Amino acid sequence: MTAHEPSGGVPAAAGPEGGAGAEGAGQPGSGPVARSGDAWQRVHFISPLVRGWIALAAILYFVGRDWFEGLFDAGTRGRSPLPEGVGLLLAAGVVLGVVLVIAAAFFISWYFTRYQVTAEHVRVHSGVVFRQQRQARLDRVQAIDIVQPFLARIFGLAELKFEVADAGESAVRLAFLKLDDARKLRATILARAAGVTDPEHPEEVVEAPEREVVVIPPARVLGAAVLSGTTIALVVAAAVVVTLGVVFRTPIIATSFIPVVIGVGGSYWSALNTGYNFRAATSPDGIRLRYGLLDTRAQTVPPGRVQALGIVQPPLWRLKGWYRVTGNVAGYGLSASNEGQARTTLLPVGTRDEVLQILALVLPDPGTLRPVEVFSAGMTGRDGEEGFITTPRRARWLAPLAWRRNGFAVTRTALLLRSGVLWRQLVVVPHERTQSLSIEQGPVDRRFRVANLQFQTTPGPVTPRVSLVDSAGAWELFHGQAVRAAEARRRSGPEQWMKSRPAEAPAQGPGAQASAQGPVPDVLPEVPVYVPAAAQGEEPADGQR
Amino acid sequence: MPREPIDPSGLQWSRVSPKYLRVRLLGWLIGSLVWVVLCSIPLVLRLTGAWESFPPLGVAWGLPAVVLVIAAWRGLLLPRQVAAIGYAERDEDLLVRQGVFFQRTMVVPYGRMQYVDVAVGPLERAFGICTLKLHTASPATNASLPGLPTEEGTRLREQLSARGEARLAGL
Repeated sequence: MTAHEPSGGVPAAAGPEGGAGAEGAGQPGSGPVARSGDAWQRVHFISPLVRGWIALAAILYFVGRDWFEGLFDAGTRGRSPLPEGVGLLLAAGVVLGVVLVIAAAFFISWYFTRYQVTAEHVRVHSGVVFRQQRQARLDRVQAIDIVQPFLARIFGLAELKFEVADAGESAVRLAFLKLDDARKLRATILARAAGVTDPEHPEEVVEAPEREVVVIPPARVLGAAVLSGTTIALVVAAAVVVTLGVVFRTPIIATSFIPVVIGVGGSYWSALNTGYNFRAATSPDGIRLRYGLLDTRAQTVPPGRVQALGIVQPPLWRLKGWYRVTGNVAGYGLSASNEGQARTTLLPVGTRDEVLQILALVLPDPGTLRPVEVFSAGMTGRDGEEGFITTPRRARWLAPLAWRRNGFAVTRTALLLRSGVLWRQLVVVPHERTQSLSIEQGPVDRRFRVANLQFQTTPGPVTPRVSLVDSAGAWELFHGQAVRAAEARRRSGPEQWMKSRPAEAPAQGPGAQASAQGPVPDVLPEVPVYVPAAAQGEEPADGQR
Repeated sequence: MPREPIDPSGLQWSRVSPKYLRVRLLGWLIGSLVWVVLCSIPLVLRLTGAWESFPPLGVAWGLPAVVLVIAAWRGLLLPRQVAAIGYAERDEDLLVRQGVFFQRTMVVPYGRMQYVDVAVGPLERAFGICTLKLHTASPATNASLPGLPTEEGTRLREQLSARGEARLAGL
């Protein structure tokens, strides 16, 4: 169903591709295929070099150094068993041999790695001794990334990552393609995954138009890094070191500070490197995120693929009113690496309005008439504003600081879970994305008649849970949420997001028209925005529930 | 099975097989025995004089005693724990509950189930019961139903799969 099926095991796959797959599996690169769009292709010739340059550089460095040192040893001490010229030749020969072997390995790995994009699948065959044939269904796409590591950027190459919901490594990694080819391939995959097909011109897939909605200035990224928790840790560490230094009258302790400084510097650097030039755009294919200083990355997350959204505010960011937005996307999984964290970040640092804009992209229908007020209450508010239900007063000693902020609110389309006083957090889960939920109650909770709710979503940085809510309210939410989730699932659109639901087609206006005719609508997508209730006129405030 | 005040009307919790209690008791007995024997080794060595003075006699006596008390407590709790396990099939989802002190109720929509496991261990096979495990796209969904009679487990698996297919949503 997902990535790991060998294509040979699926003879039922539609006619022409099935034939091509079987044929290609036997003898790589052989023969013409039925449709040129489905042809087996190879990644760019120099990509193994770009991928393996570190290994290559390391080998050259060590070999080169040995040879160099040997040369000097021979020259100065005359202990070399071989005559001088022979030693040189031998060394050169060895280096040449190593380079040739590596080049051959690169060539073979390149030659045996081929990919194919059919109407329904993307397939990759790789490996020489241990063959791997992988195919992933296009309509199961969770996200597509185009990544350009620094060296690849120099060569104008890019890596394409195709994610399905296995939460592990990328289902399909094509490294490396020419940037234009990668873009074209992404457009093709997205168009086919979206269910937009133009039978007459299968080749002419235009990239869906996009409209930039959020741009983060680099200065703010730097400022955000400076105001992050790392800085607090640095200040604390500095205080400890200085105190110890004064108490014990020795400057040696200060040297222990060096690794701390290096670590903090690294974290600032990674924040800047991944947050630099951050832009979010909307397109019919979903949310597009672009960022990066040395390594650049362009992510496309199709509509409805964000499983849960977290809005976090570290304590010092409160001074500037900044927030970070992270999201659970099925294919991205949970990774502790910088790269993994950057991928799940939908907005590294943004103001309240930008956060609301991102929210509007992820959740075009907030399900309430007062979206701005409700989400703002979730981000900064406390107590029962805007329909939030908080920890009852009787249980305040279980959470002496956070009890006024702990809470949840329900709109027609999403569930809002609020927590944290110092590290403020708001989690938004669309109803149709709830995988399962559980309600837990320990003995102490029972004594105070409160319960904890835990919502399971795909792996990611966001953990939707709400603690210490009134038992009766928790049970009501528990059962109500099960019903709401079931309803929302029934309402939710098809996996192929452009195969429009007939009822909703007119609502999209010109875009829907264009998609009916051409492969991709030429009209810029409309940017969904949340309008404050005040600007909507006098609407009744019972939008939620 | 106690009903929660907010449970929707018509919700009937099904209990797991009483044989599961026997399996658990057997497991508990073996586990407790092993622990008690292990923790009695210092005491035996002390009493036979093989060890001179290292563990004070109080500790040597106390260790197996504490283990024994914990084992007895767990054994006393077992029947209630097994009795607390329950499940209920609804139109859209399956409810699973467990726990005496730390209670947990989980709801798993049929349309969210990616696959259903039925596992049988040697002890379970001897008693004719099995364990059902539900898997969704979230690894945190930890919904397992131990102690189902084999035919009930099979029936439930088939039913859940059928219902899941009928209601299968994407992610």
